[in-house]
Amino acid sequence: MSLRHASNRLIDAASGEQVTWADLEPLDLPAPAAVVVASSYDAMRAVKQHAETGAELLVVAAGRMEANLRADLLAAGFNVVDPDGTIEAASVTREPEPGRLWLLTSGSTGRPKQIGHTLDSLTTVAGDMAPRTWLCPYSPGTYAWWQVVTLGLGSAGQDLVVVDPAQLDQWVAAGVEHGVTAASGTPTFWRQTTMSQADDLAKVPLQQVSLGGEPVDQAILDQLRTFFPEARISWIYASSEVGASIVVHDGRAGFPVEWLGREAEGRPRIDVEDGELVITSPHHGEGLGGPVRTGDAVVVEDGRVLITGRLNTDEINIGGAKVSAGVVRGVLQSHPAVAWAHVRGRKAPLVGNLVVAEVVLTSGETTAPDLLAELNAWCAERLPEYGVPRRIKLLAAIPTKETLKSDV
Amino acid sequence: MGEVLAAQGKTLPDNDDAQLADIGFRSLDFSELALRVEDEIDEELNFDAAGLRQITTIAHVLDLLTEIQAA
Repeated sequence: MSLRHASNRLIDAASGEQVTWADLEPLDLPAPAAVVVASSYDAMRAVKQHAETGAELLVVAAGRMEANLRADLLAAGFNVVDPDGTIEAASVTREPEPGRLWLLTSGSTGRPKQIGHTLDSLTTVAGDMAPRTWLCPYSPGTYAWWQVVTLGLGSAGQDLVVVDPAQLDQWVAAGVEHGVTAASGTPTFWRQTTMSQADDLAKVPLQQVSLGGEPVDQAILDQLRTFFPEARISWIYASSEVGASIVVHDGRAGFPVEWLGREAEGRPRIDVEDGELVITSPHHGEGLGGPVRTGDAVVVEDGRVLITGRLNTDEINIGGAKVSAGVVRGVLQSHPAVAWAHVRGRKAPLVGNLVVAEVVLTSGETTAPDLLAELNAWCAERLPEYGVPRRIKLLAAIPTKETLKSDV
Repeated sequence: MGEVLAAQGKTLPDNDDAQLADIGFRSLDFSELALRVEDEIDEELNFDAAGLRQITTIAHVLDLLTEIQAA
């Protein structure tokens, strides 16, 4: 795929600057290039160069560029281009790979790992789409960011309003001003928005609301429905490794259990093995064909397969009894006074671990003894005794990372 | 201990010799109490598993926590 729809617009939410892809001046960088960008909008010139020439490219936000990562990229043959245009030449010279795009994923060790893609493998929407103005709130270079950018490059009538993760507290105003009709974000992004920008959120003329990047629970889907009764609300399971693999439009958390093991030409196959989501996807990254163990934990409830969190952190063992942190989180977040919750195991005598939680109330209060007692009763009615959080800490605001995710 | 029991809808008796089993103070409750103490003193407690097996009364719990904090 190349730049097929050069008349699509790009709008920088911060400055209000608008340009079409056709008018955007591409960069002229020595490939392979790792481009460090200070803002999402700045990354678009590198994207245009890639779309027109196929120059090998990796985009990374300045906030993510640590010394170890820089050294790794230089040693892997990338010329590192800093936000001020300075180029640090690769320490190893190699031939560029035409058409190659690289994404960084956190990897199992926490050290960023490169996943190979192309514009084609990142493009998961086929066919004609209704004209839309998309909010692009993601960190530059991430899989979710590329999903929105490839819409702007490859589908007719798809304009982008680009906003940086650091300025998300103002996105609603930009969404109203520029007529954003479609927005994709993590559940944490939407929770923050509904908590801090609730007064004006419904003024954004959204026809498509998408969620992904974290487990999606029923409470946030229902809450968004109250703001946007007419919009299509979808949740998407996607990752750098397997691409966009699960898309659900029925407004419910999880997906039908009948989807497991289903074979269809050109579509991902979804399986569950030992409580882990396994995906065989046509949208996979380079070298990741065949079944991929995702590391995501699932439970089946009432005919729906629910993704509850990462396997290595989801299961909490309390004296031999096991509970899913994601299930406990879902119970807390279903309470009307709770805007957000994070659940984990905490080391404790006798039982090894106890379930504890951090909670943000919709009111933002950090002292609310009566409500804590109510949350305790709420959980006790819905969870086994060992699954009820024994300590709940109230936070004033939802903590987020540049990825728009909470640490869950 | 009173707060831990109250959260379970139970009350702490005045008699420190009361048996934990009789008042429904179980291992989950003891663990919660330990976390509350840790949060209060902002320090992780070091419990001796062998010593924990001797804990059967309210007085035992209070003595143990005093002992651990003093250590």
